[in-house]
Amino acid sequence: MTYQFKLPDIGEGVAEGEILKWMANVGDQIKEDQPLVEIMTDKVNVQIPAPRTGKVLQILAKEGDVAKVGQIIMVIDDGSGGAQPPAEPTPPEPAQVPSSAQLHQAAPAQSVLATPATRRLARELGVDLSLVKGSGTQGRITDEDVKRFASGSPVGPSTETMQAPRPSIHGAGPREELVPLRGVRKTISERMLKSLQTTAQVTHVDEADMTELVLLREAFKGSAEKRGVHLTFIPFIIKALVPALKEFPYVNSSLDEQSGNIVLKMYYNIGIATDTEQGLVVPVVRDVDRKDIFELAGEIETLADKARKAQLTLDEVRGGTFTITNVGAIGGLFATPIVNAPEVAILGLHKIAKRPVVRDNKVEIRDTTCFSLSFDHRVIDGAYAARFMSRVIETVQDTKKLLSEVL
Amino acid sequence: MIEADVAIVGGGPGGYVCGIRAAQLGLSTVLIEADRLGGECVNYGCIPSKSLITVSKLADKVKEAEKYGLKASGVSVDFVQLQKWKGEVISRLVSGIELLLKGYHATILKGEAEVVSKDRVIVTTDQGREEVSCKNLVLATGTRTSSLPGLEIDGDLVISSKEGLDLKNAPKRLMVVGGGAIGLEFASMFQKLGSTITIVEIMEQLLPGSDLDLVRVVHRKLEGHGAKIYLKSKVLRVDKKGSEAAVEVETPDGKIKVEVDKILVSVGRKPRTEKLNLPTLGVQTDPRGYIMTDSRMQTSVPGIYAIGDVRGPPLLAHKASKEGIVAAEVMAGMPSAADWKVIPEAVFCDPEVASVGLTEAKAVEAGFKVKRNRFQFAALGRALAAGEPEGFVKVISNEADGLVLGVQIVGPEASDLISEVALAIEMGATVDDIALTIHPHPTFPEAIMEAAESAAGRPIHQLKS
Repeated sequence: MTYQFKLPDIGEGVAEGEILKWMANVGDQIKEDQPLVEIMTDKVNVQIPAPRTGKVLQILAKEGDVAKVGQIIMVIDDGSGGAQPPAEPTPPEPAQVPSSAQLHQAAPAQSVLATPATRRLARELGVDLSLVKGSGTQGRITDEDVKRFASGSPVGPSTETMQAPRPSIHGAGPREELVPLRGVRKTISERMLKSLQTTAQVTHVDEADMTELVLLREAFKGSAEKRGVHLTFIPFIIKALVPALKEFPYVNSSLDEQSGNIVLKMYYNIGIATDTEQGLVVPVVRDVDRKDIFELAGEIETLADKARKAQLTLDEVRGGTFTITNVGAIGGLFATPIVNAPEVAILGLHKIAKRPVVRDNKVEIRDTTCFSLSFDHRVIDGAYAARFMSRVIETVQDTKKLLSEVL
Repeated sequence: MIEADVAIVGGGPGGYVCGIRAAQLGLSTVLIEADRLGGECVNYGCIPSKSLITVSKLADKVKEAEKYGLKASGVSVDFVQLQKWKGEVISRLVSGIELLLKGYHATILKGEAEVVSKDRVIVTTDQGREEVSCKNLVLATGTRTSSLPGLEIDGDLVISSKEGLDLKNAPKRLMVVGGGAIGLEFASMFQKLGSTITIVEIMEQLLPGSDLDLVRVVHRKLEGHGAKIYLKSKVLRVDKKGSEAAVEVETPDGKIKVEVDKILVSVGRKPRTEKLNLPTLGVQTDPRGYIMTDSRMQTSVPGIYAIGDVRGPPLLAHKASKEGIVAAEVMAGMPSAADWKVIPEAVFCDPEVASVGLTEAKAVEAGFKVKRNRFQFAALGRALAAGEPEGFVKVISNEADGLVLGVQIVGPEASDLISEVALAIEMGATVDDIALTIHPHPTFPEAIMEAAESAAGRPIHQLKS
């Protein structure tokens, strides 16, 4: 018998996914639970295991195709019965047997206006064109309309029209290249824009003296290595954040516009913005207040690794209450990070370098850095944010205080 | 026994294209052909008739060569050489088809197929009986000529189009019974090759179903060159006397007698399904015996597909081929379907008639407020310079939004011109789209642009009506 492998429900709010990579070809024997396909959703890339043991009969969604949840993406012969025609075993419906006259009539204007290629795309995505509202002139249905319909998005101006203009048909050589706005990139683009358009963002920058923290990290490095983890500054910063977030609860909140409430969160889930080939993803370290720096370091390492391999699960990228973005390794003085809505604040960490600092009326060489805190002014005022930042820096600079937090 | 994913019965333009596509998609494919690959189209239809028509046109042009300042004397048609050349054209195409099928690793079985069950076909080949066991079965057996009672085809005096293409000379007096596409092509062709033509058609116009204004151009030209055309008429009796016959024809003006040397019967075709065992298989047919399918070419029996003429009119090679592709893709699990809006048609009479989409009458019937705009080839530089000023292009569009609904053409190269419009309709183009597209000058397709400009209210080479 054939088994129709449908794109499973990957998680809350995920309606479709782009087939990134098939790990089996037509004719291959596959084993239940072996990694079979890598899907890029708008939230995260996931690997889906084979649902059955058997032989791959057909691959119905090619790499690069966008499949809807529930759409048949592969047909597997699980060897449990007789041979079946490879085609989708839908018997022809007698009601649909068309008269030949129906076949060679031009469609009336009020019916579907779509090019042959668009019509084929609709068939591939299982879209009934008569239900699609065309965005083109005179209601022409475009490929984008079909894709949008298939993804269940409301009809409206295409977000994909934001992509680079199509090259002119004349003029030699490619001077531009079209890269479809898809998956992670598309999500980033939508979210960043939405964040900027729906919040009132301000960035507050302050300087921190990291000299003692640099020493502290050195001191802990050895024991971290014994536990098999690489200790960066981030676990320390997270630890410095916790008392500050507790003291300034509005920084660890979100604004529920619908109910008109500010939701103060008594849990501390810190998103770590992570640079990957696909683009920025933000895995979340949960309940940081209950973990020591080694646990944090280990978890961050694992999550970052999974992010780069596009193996994060949906649970690992949601539920954040505050985000850290660290571009210190790359360079730069400070930045104006964009708040990861619906959170209300994000902390940018930057390069730590030896700089001249005035201490007790003397110029000294110290390890310093800048912290950039972007916040939503609808929820937090400048003075509140500045006080929060001072509290964080105070802890970072005061090793004794920090020590009580880190372990 | 041969085991295959796909067995295709019939190697015509439906079957062989289906075979190529299926093999391309990785399905093990067996194509069964009783006669010659290429089927009716390549061997007894489209291709040989076009070869002969080409020569007949040339011969005809030469007749009026002096008008153009071309001196040509002693021109005659050497039928032996003509048939030889025609044969070469066919052979080349047939071997090309074979090469393609083999190149994609499809198996060709030459022999008569008998369908035993949906997964079993017995083929009687020169070497004996071969059994094919298949997961999918494609029926692509096409149609055969039908005749009329009292007008049975004897292959000598009363012939079908197949024999008509193999004649050793042009009959002195040829009667064509049935003034449809095939009848008119033969009438125009043999008229140019020297035959005196009589056409008997039972309907009230030639090319029934086509617009009268187009048909009139062909009708007049045939008559202008001496053809007798009897509409609303039928053959009552054929008295054969040696190599000729006296045919009694009932016309609206009474019975007449016509002496002829050949009678070419082109009154239609019927599905070729005798060996397919359709009732046993449970494959549904329509009242005329054509196999019914859905838009994915699946018959009422899962696993059995039908494509091409055997599924019913319009009987066109290009339709069969596209259906073959659809069937192959469906068998390979692709979401393919026959969703074309239009199927262009071309008749290679003189001048040619081609149409695509809705005629004016059909468009009105479908509820459109229709605009009809014509452009005469007589006003087109290219047509005049080619010495072919007859005919026109007619564009049918929706008045409200300019959507192109259909185009009919009678005139030079109409068969080639129609593809532009087929694309336009598939793309949902408006008359503006065609009018605003630059067409090279001087060419025949400019006539389509001009008619579209007229439809868009901006005619250049004609006065505003």
